[in-house]
Amino acid sequence: MIALSMQINGRAVQVQAETSSLLVEVLRGPLALTGTHVGCDTAQCGACTVLMDGQAVKSCNVLAVQAEGKSITTVEGLAEPGQTHPLQQAFMDCHGLQCGFCTPGMLMTAACLLAKNPQPSEAQIVHALEGNLCRCTGYVNIVSAVKQASVAMAGGAA
Amino acid sequence: MNAPVEAGRFGSGQAVSRIEDPALLRGQGRYTDDVAMPGQLHLAFQRSPHAHAQIVSIDVAAAAAMPGVRAVYTGADLVAAGVQAIPGPGGFARPGGAPAVSAPRRALAHERVRCVGEPVVAVVADSAEAARAAADAVWVDYTELPAVVDPFDAMQPGAPVLCDAAPDNIAAEMRHGNVDATAAAFARAAHTITLDIDNQRLAPSPIEPRCVLAWVDAADGRLNLRLSSQMPTGVRGSVAAALPGLTPEQVRVQVGDVGGGFGMKTGIYPEDIAVAYAARALGQPVKWRAERLEEFLSAVHGRDVISRGELALDADGRVLALRVHGVANVGAYASGTGVAIQVLIGPWVQTSIYDIPCIDFRFTAVMTNTATMGAYRGAGRPEAIYITERLMDAAARRLKLDPAELRRRNMIRPEQMPYKNPMGQTYDSGRFEQILDQGLALADWQGYAARREASQRRGKLRGRGIATFLEWTGGNVFEERVTVNVSADGFIELGSATQAMGQGIATSYAQLAVDVFGVPIDRIRILQGDTDRVNGFGSAGSRSLFTGGSAVSVAATRTIDKARDLAAEALEAPAKDLEYEAGRFKVAGTDLGIGLFELAARQPDAAIQVDSTSSVGGPTWPNGCHICEVELDPDTGEVALAAYASVNDIGRVISPAIVRGQIEGGAVQGIGQALCEHVVYERETGQLQSASFMDYALPHADGFRDFKTAFDTSIPCKTNALGVKGVGELGTIGATPAVVNAVIDALDAAGLGASAERIQMPVTAERVWRALKLREMDASPYRA
Repeated sequence: MIALSMQINGRAVQVQAETSSLLVEVLRGPLALTGTHVGCDTAQCGACTVLMDGQAVKSCNVLAVQAEGKSITTVEGLAEPGQTHPLQQAFMDCHGLQCGFCTPGMLMTAACLLAKNPQPSEAQIVHALEGNLCRCTGYVNIVSAVKQASVAMAGGAA
Repeated sequence: MNAPVEAGRFGSGQAVSRIEDPALLRGQGRYTDDVAMPGQLHLAFQRSPHAHAQIVSIDVAAAAAMPGVRAVYTGADLVAAGVQAIPGPGGFARPGGAPAVSAPRRALAHERVRCVGEPVVAVVADSAEAARAAADAVWVDYTELPAVVDPFDAMQPGAPVLCDAAPDNIAAEMRHGNVDATAAAFARAAHTITLDIDNQRLAPSPIEPRCVLAWVDAADGRLNLRLSSQMPTGVRGSVAAALPGLTPEQVRVQVGDVGGGFGMKTGIYPEDIAVAYAARALGQPVKWRAERLEEFLSAVHGRDVISRGELALDADGRVLALRVHGVANVGAYASGTGVAIQVLIGPWVQTSIYDIPCIDFRFTAVMTNTATMGAYRGAGRPEAIYITERLMDAAARRLKLDPAELRRRNMIRPEQMPYKNPMGQTYDSGRFEQILDQGLALADWQGYAARREASQRRGKLRGRGIATFLEWTGGNVFEERVTVNVSADGFIELGSATQAMGQGIATSYAQLAVDVFGVPIDRIRILQGDTDRVNGFGSAGSRSLFTGGSAVSVAATRTIDKARDLAAEALEAPAKDLEYEAGRFKVAGTDLGIGLFELAARQPDAAIQVDSTSSVGGPTWPNGCHICEVELDPDTGEVALAAYASVNDIGRVISPAIVRGQIEGGAVQGIGQALCEHVVYERETGQLQSASFMDYALPHADGFRDFKTAFDTSIPCKTNALGVKGVGELGTIGATPAVVNAVIDALDAAGLGASAERIQMPVTAERVWRALKLREMDASPYRA
């Protein structure tokens, strides 16, 4: 076991982990942040996506030690406490989720996209979501929701 | 704001935000793997690396000695402990009439393994890592046996035999219809059409892998299971039947959030029994979460039936008879579900919306060294409808008729309702031509030539496909119980044994409750997934809304009736003089009244409770017209969807956004079967070659999304008071034939003619490229 320090959702956190531990195991285990999900073994489904220093990463493909000193944002920290993030609102408005299992990963991937490219084209949204699998929605309403959020975040009417 | 107006905004027919969403969007869902028990141990399986082998010996010593290991179990251990196998396909018969059979499907394989990935050894340890490492350290000595994965190979004399009672590997067979009359119809037909069709094997692939957490309650000694399931009560019964000394009452099954089901989570799995056994044996909580590899290996698969379909038509294109022989690969262990889907449920809709007078169906369920087959979205109906819609298109091509016109000539007419089809199934309602006409208008059927020319100018080959069809819904269990608890704290809780799995059923139930109670939707709470509270069939076959929703509506009305009597006492007024509106009883023509929750507060338990059981009159028959246009890239063979329009009759619509999501999300699954998904076993070795999301191609976000989706709500179902029809599977069933018919149309136009009909699913770029460039078509998968 080694001691790791990182920022999780804006708070300094110390956590013990094995050198072989994956970031997602530390998030879901000792840190009890179970909003980040595990859906595959091969970094295909993207349900485990979190932000590491603002970059969307698949936390099943990142060792916990790689997060040392980094700032991690999970779905639990997407919105300010008590607030609803425009992406969360848009997913609700657009029926962008059904079972909800892939949703945290979709939200975090989209958050990364909108931070870097606040007004993405539909093609850019689709490209950004290429590494996130959804079996329920057919992606129709997910793409609509990301579009709506980009408009809302730009201050326009959705 | 006026209260009833406010509440009504959230009633049926309104597009409301789902009540499920806020928690799921904040990462506060409670899927099984999100739950951790104090002292929880972890279980891992060693699985068979062979498709077929004799287990010679198992040496667990090294594994048992590893750090953190608490127990190692083999199949022999479980047999010795009296653990029972999962029941096989009861109620069906083999050719000749002997009962249907399967080798025993055990929690852990005993003496013999029959497919790759079958659980052989279970290891329980302090951590998941320790359990996995120890499972790898178990030494199993196998004698490999020849394996067979193709059902036609399996029926050959001398083929490897999976179950001694079935030397031909046929688990079950059913014949329906009239052989002689059909033969006579074919003899006098002006046209006959024959197609050999592969409905390939699919992996349902909900994104949440299976997970099971089992523990024994220290206080009462009962076995508790928390898992991801569509049928908690069924799991309770099956676990009690498998483990010695347990009654169903001594088992409690709880289900939290379910990350997608699609039929795959409808029954007990061997792994569930192993985890439950370990928790009882060790007296500590035990958890197993499937890796994706384990899901591909040992969760049930769907479809996998190879059929010869034959249509006899007169000179005007009227269908005289339909003959189908389907050979279904039901996997290593024939299950009741896997067999019923292929030999009975699919055939129920084989004649679809067409008035076909004569049928000859034979469906053969064959065991092979592959994963066990179960339900996957549509379960039998997609296979049947795909065959029929491919045949209708082929007939139109032969008769040089517009495919919509040929279908129109054969449709059951509204005045024929209720209509009994040749399988004895009665359709209560349906106006299929009305749906067709709307579909043609929505798709701009008449304007197709211009779009085709536009594609041509861009160097693309355009094709158009149509599917008009219906499906059966329901599971043929029509009774549902609903518990209602109106509590003094201002909430109305409705309990149902139907099960949420992402379809938004809690929101739809809440909307129905708002209709009756007239209170804001945030006053309604839906309780599901706890066998200590409500038991029933569960959710499958698009049955929840029309059975469970109808039961919610009845239960809510009964609650108002009971509350009216209580209000009459409280207000000292005759019950008949009381009016109920928006959560309040009022004495007509006065200001005297009492609120529903205030009334609850005055009751002995500070609640008004109703336990209501009610039934609907039969299954529902949702139907639709789905029209797809594709563009083929002649250089790469790539298939791109260019347009997709669907008009759907699901009766009355309760939750507009939800049903649209069901149709379109479902259609993408159907498109997945048409274009990319395929579970592949290597024919020689029985090894699974599509065992990850890298090899098994799910649709991604870059697929087609521009759906035009419409609903005709003018044809309510007549067998339930809500007038609703099931919606969960309709999109999946319609999309597959619409897409493939469009690809075949494009290939036909590119010069392949009727030979294009030999293409099989998934219609990959390679298949299309071979067809276009090399004129190379698939060999028939069917062998007489």
